[in-house]
Amino acid sequence: MRRFGLRARVSTIVAVGALALSTAVATLSYQFIRSSLLDERRNVVWRTAYYDASYVEARIGGPDTDYVQVLSSFNPGRGRTPVLVVTGTPYRLDVAGVDIPTNLARMVEGGQAARQVVHTPQGPAMIIGIPLSATTQYYEIVSLRELDKTLRQIGLVLTLVAGGVTIAGAGLGWYAGRRALRPLASVAEAAEGIAAGDLTARLDPQAEPDLQRLASSFNNMVDQLQQRIERDRRFAADVSHELRSPLQTLAAAAAVLERRQDRLDERTADAARLVVEEVSRFQQLVTDLLEITRAESELDLSEVDVLALARDQCKRREIDPAVVTVLDGAGDATWVADARRVEQILANLIENAERHGGGVVAVRLSQEGDYNVIEVDDDGPGVLPEDREVIFRPFVRGSTAERRGDTDGAGLGLAIVARLAESHGGRATVLDRPGGGARFRVELSRRTT
Amino acid sequence: MSGVLVIEDDDRIRRSLMMALEDEGYRVRGTATAEEGLAAHRAEPADAILVDLMLPGIDGFECVRQLRRDGDATIVVVSARDDTHDIVAALEAGADDYLVKPVAIKELAARMRAVRRRNRGGQSNPSTMVVGDLEIRADAGEVRLRGQPVQLTRTEFLLLCELAAHAGQVLSRQQLLQRVWGYEFGDERLVDVHVGRLRQKIEDDTSSPRRLVTVRGLGYKLQR
Repeated sequence: MRRFGLRARVSTIVAVGALALSTAVATLSYQFIRSSLLDERRNVVWRTAYYDASYVEARIGGPDTDYVQVLSSFNPGRGRTPVLVVTGTPYRLDVAGVDIPTNLARMVEGGQAARQVVHTPQGPAMIIGIPLSATTQYYEIVSLRELDKTLRQIGLVLTLVAGGVTIAGAGLGWYAGRRALRPLASVAEAAEGIAAGDLTARLDPQAEPDLQRLASSFNNMVDQLQQRIERDRRFAADVSHELRSPLQTLAAAAAVLERRQDRLDERTADAARLVVEEVSRFQQLVTDLLEITRAESELDLSEVDVLALARDQCKRREIDPAVVTVLDGAGDATWVADARRVEQILANLIENAERHGGGVVAVRLSQEGDYNVIEVDDDGPGVLPEDREVIFRPFVRGSTAERRGDTDGAGLGLAIVARLAESHGGRATVLDRPGGGARFRVELSRRTT
Repeated sequence: MSGVLVIEDDDRIRRSLMMALEDEGYRVRGTATAEEGLAAHRAEPADAILVDLMLPGIDGFECVRQLRRDGDATIVVVSARDDTHDIVAALEAGADDYLVKPVAIKELAARMRAVRRRNRGGQSNPSTMVVGDLEIRADAGEVRLRGQPVQLTRTEFLLLCELAAHAGQVLSRQQLLQRVWGYEFGDERLVDVHVGRLRQKIEDDTSSPRRLVTVRGLGYKLQR
């Protein structure tokens, strides 16, 4: 499952907080407004009802009183319906009004003023009952529709405000998240620079006071990394130098031994031969190892006539230089590249084809997209699919290669090719050649001087 | 033939190189410092001098520079340093060739034989060649540009002779390595650096050469 990003989380948290807070505030406000409006209304309704009741009471003295006439003689105002109950008979102006609830009627008949809120098809209404005498009760039905409408509107406004605050909270969270994460973008940029080999990339600890610790520990880490790389590089260089000097002595002394073999007795001559052979193998091994360390250093780019390099490598091994061809018709393969690395790649691929692949069949130079491509075809048994990756590792030889023990290389040739290709922004692979044999393919990213 | 001078501060390397070269038939002298080497060369010039770069006192680059000033003996740098910068710097200081340790004695011997062949002459080029405003007298070892003599080292001179003998034709770096240095195969940077040095002496503007031009993807050509 994909985790939500930091920004999404910050935004959600702020939004939820804003929602909770604004809902609470809105609910409390609503309750407060509602109760105070209701109280206010209730007081007004009571006062008016008593006033109306005393007005009605003053006019219903005689026995022949027309009760409906009395009720219609005063205007109680919109939304108020007076009802007069005399000895159980209700008199009212509206024909089909709201009935007086029985328990309210009972209370009022008992001589006690009372009120009750009822729900009518026209909306909520309050009924006030006031006893005028033992047999007469005055009721006033007051519509609460207006109040209800007002409360509804307030409720709607408060809900909208709560929703708006929530959305604003989410937006604020998103923005704050972005602001907070912005310094991390510069960290990411610096880290990418370092990964690409620029060890001078550093963060400015003053730029963001809150991230000062991150910046200084990041810088510290890069310093240490740089020191370690520098130390490793210096160590490799020192080792190489320290190995070269004794090897030079060994090589020269071995040459003397070799030349004077016939002056030695048989046993000494045998031993001398072993020394000479091992010195030469050791020499090759050290040269190869140095070549691998060199892949770590910076590219030395120039315009390189790769066709000439490839032909030269063939001539050195007495291979017909005509096997080298340039695809895409240009007839010339001048690439911007590190001449030494390209030469080493060609040398090792051709050497590999000669030694393990039954000889070079073709060397092709081409350009494909952003890459310059070298392909070397051989006439050998090919490379088993399970070996295709491991043969590019140091000291590994394909299952089809001969036994160790002769004066063959140590198995670094293809590892060097892979390292050099990587250092050149490319890669080395091996494929099947159509028609049998292996096809070694090296891609080098195209550069400009 | 006064033989080979080995300037190398590492005792064992110097001794082993001297032994191996003696076995190859050379008369070999050796010194541990550049100062001694320069003195030995002045006392009795050597045909070929092998110089290490990291020497106490005067370093290898300066030693090469002084040797080059003193004459046109073949100078071969034999160093453990394999940086392109070092190689180019040594060649620009005046070295004819650069070999990285450890050098196989067979290879060193092949280079020395090439040097010997070269120093014996064996030039089949015509004795006097005129290419544009360049006049080359192969037998006298003289070059004149618009009548003015130009000082060239032996390698530069041989390179110019080879290019002049095929004026108007393109010679590849490998062809030049074979014909001028006598190497079957070699480092093409040798050719590039020497062409650069030659240009400084025969071109008016080295950034846009008119006489000795580069033919992209092929090699070099001396314009007729």
